[in-house]
Amino acid sequence: MANILSTGVSGLLAFQRALDVTSHNIANSSTPGFSRQGVQLGTRDAERLGSGYVGTGVNVQTISRSYDDLLATQMRSATSSSSRLDAYATKAQVLNNLFADSSTGLSASLQRFASAVQGVSNEPTSTAARQVMLSEAQGLTQRLQTYNSRLDEINTEINSRLTSETATISSIADSIAKLNQQIVSAQTSGQAPNDLLDERDRQINALSEHMNVTVVKQDDGAWNVFVGNGQSLVLGNTAAKIVAQRDAYDPNRMTVAYQAGSSTTDMSTTISGGTLGGLMDFRREMLDPVRNQLGQIAVGLASAMNAQHHEGMDLLGNLGGDLFGVGAVGVLPKSSNTGTGTVAVTRTNAGALTSGDYILEFSAGAWSARRSDTGAAVPLSGAGTVASPFTADGLSIVVGGTPANGDRFLVRPTAGAVAGMSVLVTDPARIAAAAPIRSSEATTNTGSASISAGEVLDASNPALRNTVNIAFIDATHYSVNGAGSFAYTSGGNIDVNGWRVAVTGTPAAGDTFTVANNAGGVGDNRNMLAMTQVMGQGVLSGGTESVNGAVSRFVGGIGVATNQAQAGADAQAIILKDSQSAVDSVSGVNLDEEAANMLRYQQAYQAAAQVIRITQDMFDTLIQATRR
Amino acid sequence: MTARISTAGMHSAAIAQMLAQQAKLSVTQSQVASGKRVQSPADDPIAATQILDIQRARAQNEQFGKNSVAATNRLQTAESALTDVGNVLQRVRELAIQANNATNDDLSLKSIATELRARLQELQDGANRRDASGDFIFSGFSAQTTPFARTASGVAYYGDQGVRQLQIGPDQKVPDSFSGYQVFMDIPEGNGTFTTAAGVHTGTGTIDSGRVTNPAAWVPGNYTVRFNTPPDTWDVLDATNAVVASGAYQDGSAISFNGVQVTVTGTPAAGDTFTVAPAGKESIFKTLDDLISSLTAGGNTPSSRSQLNTNIANSLTQIDQGLNHVLDLRSEVGARLSMIDAASDSRDGLDVELQQSLSDLQDLDYAEAISRMNQQMVGLQAAQQAYTRIGQLSLFSYL
Repeated sequence: MANILSTGVSGLLAFQRALDVTSHNIANSSTPGFSRQGVQLGTRDAERLGSGYVGTGVNVQTISRSYDDLLATQMRSATSSSSRLDAYATKAQVLNNLFADSSTGLSASLQRFASAVQGVSNEPTSTAARQVMLSEAQGLTQRLQTYNSRLDEINTEINSRLTSETATISSIADSIAKLNQQIVSAQTSGQAPNDLLDERDRQINALSEHMNVTVVKQDDGAWNVFVGNGQSLVLGNTAAKIVAQRDAYDPNRMTVAYQAGSSTTDMSTTISGGTLGGLMDFRREMLDPVRNQLGQIAVGLASAMNAQHHEGMDLLGNLGGDLFGVGAVGVLPKSSNTGTGTVAVTRTNAGALTSGDYILEFSAGAWSARRSDTGAAVPLSGAGTVASPFTADGLSIVVGGTPANGDRFLVRPTAGAVAGMSVLVTDPARIAAAAPIRSSEATTNTGSASISAGEVLDASNPALRNTVNIAFIDATHYSVNGAGSFAYTSGGNIDVNGWRVAVTGTPAAGDTFTVANNAGGVGDNRNMLAMTQVMGQGVLSGGTESVNGAVSRFVGGIGVATNQAQAGADAQAIILKDSQSAVDSVSGVNLDEEAANMLRYQQAYQAAAQVIRITQDMFDTLIQATRR
Repeated sequence: MTARISTAGMHSAAIAQMLAQQAKLSVTQSQVASGKRVQSPADDPIAATQILDIQRARAQNEQFGKNSVAATNRLQTAESALTDVGNVLQRVRELAIQANNATNDDLSLKSIATELRARLQELQDGANRRDASGDFIFSGFSAQTTPFARTASGVAYYGDQGVRQLQIGPDQKVPDSFSGYQVFMDIPEGNGTFTTAAGVHTGTGTIDSGRVTNPAAWVPGNYTVRFNTPPDTWDVLDATNAVVASGAYQDGSAISFNGVQVTVTGTPAAGDTFTVAPAGKESIFKTLDDLISSLTAGGNTPSSRSQLNTNIANSLTQIDQGLNHVLDLRSEVGARLSMIDAASDSRDGLDVELQQSLSDLQDLDYAEAISRMNQQMVGLQAAQQAYTRIGQLSLFSYL
């Protein structure tokens, strides 16, 4: 009877424990990262009697959590991919919206400027039209600079995000290390500290939201966490740090480093996944290229416009100067450079410029260059001296001083172009609308030949505006300024002193044509007409792309990248959702199931209580039977 | 399919689905509100690029339209100036014909010359006219330089021969005026091929302006028609005094050589010469100056009368050349205006096409969008109802 009582009591205790676990499950049904727990019941050791082994009841062997290691690993990887794509897509959307409005955007500003140039070509003597052109040039510059400063703001946002992200990562790493310690000491009892394990899982999951991690389990129950290409973030109960630090080249840019003790390792290229990876990828794949492309467009526009403007003559009779100025090529020495080397870089050919940045390295007594994004070597021709500068991709590079072995410089050909952009012509009269030369036929000509208006080939020719007489010796030969005898073909080009004219028709002997300075030619619009064409001409990418084309490609490119990022994020969200529901199906709490369990355990508890009552009845019956 | 569903997971999945439905609905809503299918480049990058290109093409088209209006205005100004020049020349022609009448004595010739001076001044004033913005319309590129001024040797042109062009189409430019040189200076002399003039003149012979009978045989050069001692023969000498042709003179019959003909009437004296020279260009002002000085010189002797007749005949030829020249320029204006009209028609057509493409690319199909919105609203409503119904199901309700 003592046996029955103790068996009954074991049942009472076991089902009480089971109800404890069920109520814990119900209480935590909405706790993130909580894994459903269950009691593992087992029979107590049986008592051997002559008639056989008699059971002695039940005991609780352990309380275990429903957990699948593989699903948890999948979940971490899905989380880190999804966070990366989310962070990327969110930032891409910001860029996309920046350039979205087609009626007020870059293309519209360019178009308004082009119309203003046409306006001057319609009325070259109108100061108002000229003022409008300067204002629109200013407007275009401001539009580009607004974009550029917005890009700078996005860069600053990323800098501060990197700082906060790395702080969060380091603090999560700390808690994982502490949890490792608690788990190791709790496991010594032989039972699993389920809620601590859940908490550590949750922390590692939270970590994988920020960056990609690899988990390696130790026998003592501790989990080690590795990041990047094998740096240990958590090792047992010690945690390293991920810190944001200034870029080695650009102090306005934060980058990410691994810090263990006092030594730091740059992680800017090895970090992957998570919001941190997403931000770094976005900056490298979208923000930097967009800024460079914007600069490339500005440089292309300015150099093409300037070149044409140089070929014109302003209202005061001077040859045109630069219309637009752009920021210089950025040269950033690496902070660890030890030599005194200097690098000066100028743009020589806008058409050959790329949207990439370059690393210039001095090593073993020689300079070499490579693309900073792809690492591809860029051949340098020339000697690097003022007389014979290095040339590569439309740049001219002059080196000086005494560089130390391994010294590096970051060369950014277009990144700073927009920030330094300005309209250099401020006086409307200085707009070179006219061509500097004009042609005329002599009144005494008796032939039927006529001369074209003429175009400038080389505005820098010092004799450009000298008066030149083209006199026909006979119908098929002409002399230039009385010298020589050149064969004449109707419509053929006559190139002298940096200009070109064509005489068409049948000249008579003695016919004379004159090309002279276009003094007083304020009503001439030939150079403005040429300028209206410039934006549609191939001036970028080796002369294959126009400024207009580049703007379309630029905006389209941002659209494509954003679209892809959004599609990737959407697809990954589904994978994450599936992964989450797979984990939930194993570890999640189902309240109906818990209700059923509760009923089950309650009934068993009541039955065990009945067993105790029966024991009392049996005892009473026995007492009654033996009472006198 | 998972056998167990976690209760919290079920709720969050249902909420996520409703959020997704709402997001889709919000996209549709903003499409319907703006009427645009493409809200940002990411929505349809290819269409976004095309939209930019089409918008640029339309803006350019519009600009060409403005250029055409400017060109039309200037050409109309030029046209009205040319009409005035034509009217003056017409009056000058009448005066020249009046002067050609043999009954005029020197006094009446002088009074005709006086009116001609006034006409000459009118012509010069017209040539120096300015447009609304104060630019001289007939000074070429030198828009701020007074193009015509009188010097000791007649009216000189201080402008240049430049002609401004305006762009009225992607590859189409139209000159918006004429230079003063073209209008007033570039008038062919004589009959356009050669000029005739009296040389040694003692008889009463007059020479007409001649004509070209065989352009291929014409050798440009200076020729002298010389009447010989028996005054009924003539020789034509070239610049080296070699005889090119000769014949017997008959009053009013043609003298032909090298593919051209001139006609001498009257009685030239022996040794009288007439010169034939390749035609250059003469300014209309010089023509008038010459006529005025011929009239001022008078014609009260038979010889001077025939000299006067030759001169007036030459002047008339020049005035006719001038009138023809002005007519040519006016028909040139007409041709340019019709070119602008044609360009404007093709621009309008292009704009309709571009607008259509733009609308196809960016405008919303409202019927489709509204039906999509209704569908999405039904979807969202269903998700909400399903959530509230399924969310209530719990075994605990029955315990």
